[in-house]
Amino acid sequence: MLRFDHVTRTYGSRVAVDDLNLSLQRGELFALLGHNGAGKTTTIKMLVGLLKPTSGTIFVGPYSVVEHPREVCRLIGYVPDLPFLYEKLSGREFLRFVADMYGMPEPAARAAVERESERFQLGEFIDQLTESYSHGMRQRTVFAAAMIHQPEILVVDEPMVGLDPHSIRLVKDLLKQYAESGKIVLMSTHTLNVAEEIADRVGVMRNGRIVFEGKLEALRHALPNRGETLESLYLALMES
Amino acid sequence: MNDGNALDAELAALVSALPTHEREGQIFWRLRIEVLRAHLRHVIANARLRTSLVVGLSLFFWFGLFMLFYKGFDFVIRYVESPGSRYHADTMLFVFPLFFLSLQVMLIFSSGIILYGGLYPSRETAFLMTLPVRDERLVYYRFQEALLFSSWGFFLLASPMLLAYGLVANAPWYYFAYLLPLMAAFAYIPCSLGAVCCLVLIYRLPALRRIIVGAIALAIIVVAYKSIWKTLEFSQAEFLGNSWFKDTLKRFRFARGEWLPSTWLSNALIEAVRRSHNNPRDLPWFEAGKYLVVLVSNALALHLCIVWLGKRLFRPSYWELHARRTKRPKLTLAWVDRIAAAMLFMFPRQTKLLILKDLRLFRRDPVQWSQFLIFFGLLLLYFANVDRFREHKSDINVATWVNIVSFLNLAVVGLILSTFTTRFIYPLISLEGRRFWILSLLPVERDTILWGKFLFAACGSWLPCAALVGVSDVMLDVSPMVVAVHQLICLLLCIGLAGMAVGFGAMMPNFREQSPSKIAAGFGGTLNLVLSALYIMAVVLLTALPCHFFLLAGKDEMPPRLLQPSYLRLWLLLGLAASIVLAALVTILPLRGGLRSFRRLEV
Repeated sequence: MLRFDHVTRTYGSRVAVDDLNLSLQRGELFALLGHNGAGKTTTIKMLVGLLKPTSGTIFVGPYSVVEHPREVCRLIGYVPDLPFLYEKLSGREFLRFVADMYGMPEPAARAAVERESERFQLGEFIDQLTESYSHGMRQRTVFAAAMIHQPEILVVDEPMVGLDPHSIRLVKDLLKQYAESGKIVLMSTHTLNVAEEIADRVGVMRNGRIVFEGKLEALRHALPNRGETLESLYLALMES
Repeated sequence: MNDGNALDAELAALVSALPTHEREGQIFWRLRIEVLRAHLRHVIANARLRTSLVVGLSLFFWFGLFMLFYKGFDFVIRYVESPGSRYHADTMLFVFPLFFLSLQVMLIFSSGIILYGGLYPSRETAFLMTLPVRDERLVYYRFQEALLFSSWGFFLLASPMLLAYGLVANAPWYYFAYLLPLMAAFAYIPCSLGAVCCLVLIYRLPALRRIIVGAIALAIIVVAYKSIWKTLEFSQAEFLGNSWFKDTLKRFRFARGEWLPSTWLSNALIEAVRRSHNNPRDLPWFEAGKYLVVLVSNALALHLCIVWLGKRLFRPSYWELHARRTKRPKLTLAWVDRIAAAMLFMFPRQTKLLILKDLRLFRRDPVQWSQFLIFFGLLLLYFANVDRFREHKSDINVATWVNIVSFLNLAVVGLILSTFTTRFIYPLISLEGRRFWILSLLPVERDTILWGKFLFAACGSWLPCAALVGVSDVMLDVSPMVVAVHQLICLLLCIGLAGMAVGFGAMMPNFREQSPSKIAAGFGGTLNLVLSALYIMAVVLLTALPCHFFLLAGKDEMPPRLLQPSYLRLWLLLGLAASIVLAALVTILPLRGGLRSFRRLEV
C-alpha cells in the first residue's frame, strides 16, 4: 500500500534521508523514531508532497508521489508538527473547507464535520474563530481536518507535543483504533512510551538511514540484555 | 494479484471523486468570502479608530488627487487645446504613456514580489499543497491576492486622474463606461508579467550559481541607473524653454512604444474622450474599443500563461527551493556591537546590555533594517538632488521655497521616523511579554528595561535622522541658523517619538499577539502614529513659520511694517521654547504612564 523504494534526499552536500526502503500494509501503525535531524520529518515531507526525493520513488497504492501528487493527497491525511489554521475561520468553516477540497458531497461533508467534531470533542469551540484556540485545541482541529475524508494513510508528525493528558489519551486511542480499522498510520515521535504502547512496528532512523525496522520483540532479540522498554532499547541502539 | 487490482480499483474510485476545476475555484472564493467577513466583523468590533483613519485618509488622498488632476487638466485644455485636436493628443500622449509606463514597471515588480511571498515561504501554501488542490489553481489563488495587493495603489492613483480628465474634457458617456474595464485589463497585464517572471525565475534560480545571479542583478542596476540618469539629464540654461520641451519629448519617446500596454491604454483614453463631429465614419467609441480589445486579449493570454506555468513550474520550483541547504553563519560579536558598546560607555552596565541586546535583534532581523535602509536610502537620494534651488537663490521666490522645502524635508524625516517607531519600537514591550520570564528572573529593575528601550530608540534614530537633515541643509545651502534650528528640532523629534512609542507600548501591551505588524496595527499603535504625526506637525510649524519670516524680513521685498526683525526674533525664540516644552511633555507623560504600567505588570 505504501512503499519507499531507495529514497534519498539531500540538502546540498548533506544527506538527510539515505536510501530508505520501507513498506507499510493496511492495518499497520508504524512509528518512526530517531534523534533530531535523523531524517523523520524529511521522510514525511516527501510522502505528503512537500519535498521531492533526490532519487528513488514513493508509491501510495499505484500512485507515485512525484507524478500524481493530487491523487496521493486524496489518500493521505497529514497532521504536521506545526499546525496551520486560518485564523479568521471558525473550526467548522475550516473543516468544511477541507471536506470540500476532498470533493465530499454536501450531506457527507456535513455529517463528517459532525462526526469529527464529536470524536475530537470540538463541540464547545467549533463555532469560534481559530485565532482564539489554545495549542491543544488547534492540534485537535488539525487532527479532525486530517481525518475528515477517512484517509487510507494517516501521517502524523509529533502528535503529542503540547497536548494535555486527556488529549494524549484521546489521540492514542484514536490512532490505535484507526489502524485496527484497516488503515495505515505513520507516526513520527520522540515520545517512546507512546510508540511502545500503540505501534505495531517501529523504524529507528539515524543520520538519514533506517538502522532498525520491525516489531519491538525483534528489537529485544537484536539487543539482548539491554532492557525491556523501548526507551532503553532505543538508547542502546543509538549508542551502538 | 487480484487483491492488488482490487485495491488499485478501490483507490482509483476514491481519487475519481475529487472536485472539478470550477468547483475548486468556488471553494476558494467561499474561503475568501468567509475570511473577509470575519475580518470585517473584527475590524468593526475592535479596530474602529484604525479603520476610520484608513478610510478617512484614503478618501482625503483620493479627493486631493482628484482636485490636483482637475486643475492640471483644466490648465492643459485651456492653454493647449481641446480633446480631438492634434496638440491636445500630442500633449496627452506624452503625459499618459509616461505615467502608465511607470506604474506598469512598478506593478510588474510588486506583483512578482508579492506572489513570491505568497507562494514559496508561506505556511498556507504548504498546507494547501497537502490537500488535493491542483497546482495551477493554487498558483492562481495566490496570484489573485498578489493582483489585489499590488494594483490597489494603481486604482487609487489612476481613478481620480482619469475621472478628472473626463470631467474637464467634457467626455462622452462611453469614456466613463470604458474606464473600469480599461484600468482592470491594463493592471492585469503587468501583474501577470510579474507573476510569470516570478515563476520562471524561481524555477531557474536554484540551477544558477550565485555569482551569475549577482552579476546579472548588478548589470541590470547599472544599466537602469545609467538610462534613468541619461533620460533625466538636461542643461540648466534652457530649462523650461522651447528646445528643452522638444528635447524632453524626444527623450521620453520610448514611453510611447506601440507594443507597450501603457500606450494601448493611453490611446484608448485619447480616443474615448473625443467626440465625433459630423463625420459618420469617425467612431471614437469604436477606436477606443479596439484598444480595449487588445488589452483584454493580452490580459487573457497572460492569464492562460500563468495557469500553464503554474501547472508545470510551481511544484518543481517549490521542491527545489525547499531542498536548498540554508547557511547558518556562526554568530559572533560584530564590529557594530563593539562600536555601540564603546559609544554607550556613559550608561549603567545593565542599561548598556539591554540596549546592545535590542540592537543585535534589530541587526539580525532583515525585515527591520531593510525597510529602514530603503526609506532612508530613498530620502538620501532625494536630498542629494535638491540642490536645484541654489542656482537662483537671490530671487525672493526661490529663497522662500528653499526655506519651505528645508522644513518640509525635516517633517518628512520625522514622519518616516514615526512610522518606524510605531512599527518597530511600539511592539517591543508586547513582544518582550512572551520571553518576559528571562528578564524578570534577572536582577534588573523593570524601569531599567524601559529606559533601555527608550535610549535604544532615541539614540538609534537620532544619528541617521541628523545625518539626513544635515545632507538636506547642505544641498539646499541654508543659513547656519536654520541648520542649528533643524538639528535641534531633529533631536526633539527623536526623543519625543521614542518616548511616545516606548511609553504607549508599555501602557497598552498586547501579549497575545506575536506578530509586530499586528501589534502596531492595533488601537495603541494607531493612536501612537496619529499623535506622533500631530507632534511632528506642531514642532515643525512652531519653528518653521517664525524662522521663515525672520529670514525674509531682511529682504527689501518684505514690508518692514508688518514683520519687524526684533518681533520675529522673539517669535522664533518663543517657538523654540514651546517646541522644547512640547517635546518634554510628549516624552515624559507617556514614559511616566508606561513606567507605572510596566511596574504593575503581571505576565
